[in-house]
Amino acid sequence: MKGGLRQSMAWLHTWSGLLLGWLLVAIFITGTSAYFRDEISFWMAPELHQSVASEATPELAWATLGATAPDARAWDIILPHDRSPVAELRWQPDTPEAAEGGGRRRGERVEMDAGSGEILEPRASRGGDFLYRFHFELYGVPRIWARWLVCVATMMMLVAIVSGVITHKKIFKDFFTFRPGKGQRSWLDAHNATAVLALPFHFMITYSGLLIFMVMLMPWGMNAAYEEGWRGFFNDVFPRQEAAATGGTPAAMVDAIQPLVNQAEATFGQPAQRISVSWPNRDNARIEISTGKEPAITDRRRGGNPALVFDGGGNLLDTKPGLYDDGASARIYNLLVNLHLARFADPATRWLFFLFGVVGSAMAVTGMLLWVSKRTQQLRGREPGFNLRLVNGLNMAAITGLMTAMAGYFIANRLLPADLAGRESWEIRVFFLTWLATLLHALVRPHRRGWMEQLAALALLWLAVPLVNLATTHSHLFSAIAWRHGALASFDLVCLVIAAGAGYALWRLAGHRPVRKPARAARAARALPEGETAS
Amino acid sequence: MTVLPLIGSLGYAGLTALALAMKRHHEAMLGAKPDERRLRVFRVLGWALLVLMMAGCLYRWPTALGLSMTLGMVTLAGLPLVFLLPYRPRLAVPLAVGLPVLACVGLFV
Amino acid sequence: MSKLSSQRLAGSPRLGMALRAVVAVFGGYALAAAATAALALWLPMARADAVLTGTLLSFLIYTGAVLWAFGTRSVARAWGGILIPAALCAALAWLGGA
Repeated sequence: MKGGLRQSMAWLHTWSGLLLGWLLVAIFITGTSAYFRDEISFWMAPELHQSVASEATPELAWATLGATAPDARAWDIILPHDRSPVAELRWQPDTPEAAEGGGRRRGERVEMDAGSGEILEPRASRGGDFLYRFHFELYGVPRIWARWLVCVATMMMLVAIVSGVITHKKIFKDFFTFRPGKGQRSWLDAHNATAVLALPFHFMITYSGLLIFMVMLMPWGMNAAYEEGWRGFFNDVFPRQEAAATGGTPAAMVDAIQPLVNQAEATFGQPAQRISVSWPNRDNARIEISTGKEPAITDRRRGGNPALVFDGGGNLLDTKPGLYDDGASARIYNLLVNLHLARFADPATRWLFFLFGVVGSAMAVTGMLLWVSKRTQQLRGREPGFNLRLVNGLNMAAITGLMTAMAGYFIANRLLPADLAGRESWEIRVFFLTWLATLLHALVRPHRRGWMEQLAALALLWLAVPLVNLATTHSHLFSAIAWRHGALASFDLVCLVIAAGAGYALWRLAGHRPVRKPARAARAARALPEGETAS
Repeated sequence: MTVLPLIGSLGYAGLTALALAMKRHHEAMLGAKPDERRLRVFRVLGWALLVLMMAGCLYRWPTALGLSMTLGMVTLAGLPLVFLLPYRPRLAVPLAVGLPVLACVGLFV
Repeated sequence: MSKLSSQRLAGSPRLGMALRAVVAVFGGYALAAAATAALALWLPMARADAVLTGTLLSFLIYTGAVLWAFGTRSVARAWGGILIPAALCAALAWLGGA
């Protein structure tokens, strides 16, 4: 019975893993990059790199919005912070469409040099958002379909995690076991080690991934308990203060915002982060200045920051301490979702999560490679059949192909002319064309040489990213280090690390030829990604 | 100095001690066959170090995040150990002693 | 006995696996949905708390159901072990909603 259970769980693990493994690899890799979504976006907009936050930033932003959009429905100023040195200005024009959407529609947005107040015009790019969005809604597929597909993969991952734990015979005894250079055995060890060591992360990321989409996936509790379904539920748990539906009569607002910013910072002892105004320059204007606060990972995602609310004349109306009395279940929900999004993460913690993402990607990757390795070994030297070649080829496209395409995306960002029409779509087109090219290559050459060629392309392209950056911008690795700009320097350094890693894998693959003696072993090795046969 | 290196190195030392509590790894790392009593000592030591590491996490982060990060730190500390064991097993134990000491020194520099 | 019944029910191992997969995917979801609705209505907590607790548990229930569908001895047990609790939960939810 016990053996039977383990066997059926192994079967479940293998096939649920294979069926959506490629998608999971892509989700893991792009999702890992999303931990540095802001930093990637920033790197991809060199026009913003000269901006430096200054004392005058709030006032400059206030004046700019006052001149640009005096009669908007709402303003939003996101002050420079440690992940971005520019001020972001958003406003919602007072149009009939905006009124229809209750003012929730996306409005205009510009970036302002935080030191000079100049409106910056970065090259059109989706930046890190493209990779971030890809990790849960893919691209070019109707959003709802893509989200369901990703969630099905996530659910399968949850099943694979639990069935994997049941399958793993000696989970504690093998906790530290990794035996390199032993073909299939090594892939299994690597898969086990990356899975077991980071098990808490894998479970958290998968489970919280489902929770983020709970309204779509599991609305039945909300529908059963609330007349208005999930809307009723959310209004109950996370009540939102709605802004007034219509603007009042024109009325002047405070000329200087700095005193209000100072007041908010003094009240909460934290730097101001955001200035939001509803109905600016009307008699019902509301100015809300929110600050950061001590991180509490169990806090709600939105609206949890302390804030002062003023009227247009600068009279204090309300003090929101940003404390909520959430129930235990809400705190668990908040905890998991905040961990998934790495909210409240300081730079060190963000790197840690990035590393866990890399480990998770490695787990998915080694699982896929293990599948091929095991079946290649079972061939005992016979030519691999169509299915095995197909899986091996798809592995290649999903792993080295995707990584190569990402490098292509970054290079396109630097090389495409700034005034190209639809420029941001072209960056994405380069990404998918590169990926398609690697897929075709992988299907034609699903063997060891194919892997070597793709690793070479991967290493070269990632090496090219910092080089192209050096040739085309002033904010290359050397100046980024001179400016002590961690995010910019790290981006180029990570590119070099990835290139070096791919180069090392290539070197191992090339240098680790199986012994000449049996011709059939050499043939079998062709299907093996690392070219390692059983010793 | 930040307390982060100390937390990480304590986690690493704890996991190394737990690996020393397993016969196979003990032999690889120290080159001697251990008796049952030694193994038990290392098991207790390992868990004690991990509890200490957890205390560090709770000091560094608020409770809920601190508990989550405890698990994360075990992952972080386990990675180098998993690679040291097959390639440089003899280096694992000196590092487990040296890193926490260095991190402590770092706290006061 | 159960082995025999499973074989009779599911002539071939392949068909058996297909039947298990069907009940895992669809039956498991039905069970999770019904259990969430029942928990949301019957848990002795504030309404929002009960709803969220039920929803938090739903994905674990689904996972458990999938594991049960593939792990249990016979196809009949796989179906019964998921559909009977699902029906019970649905009945509870229906009672709670009335």
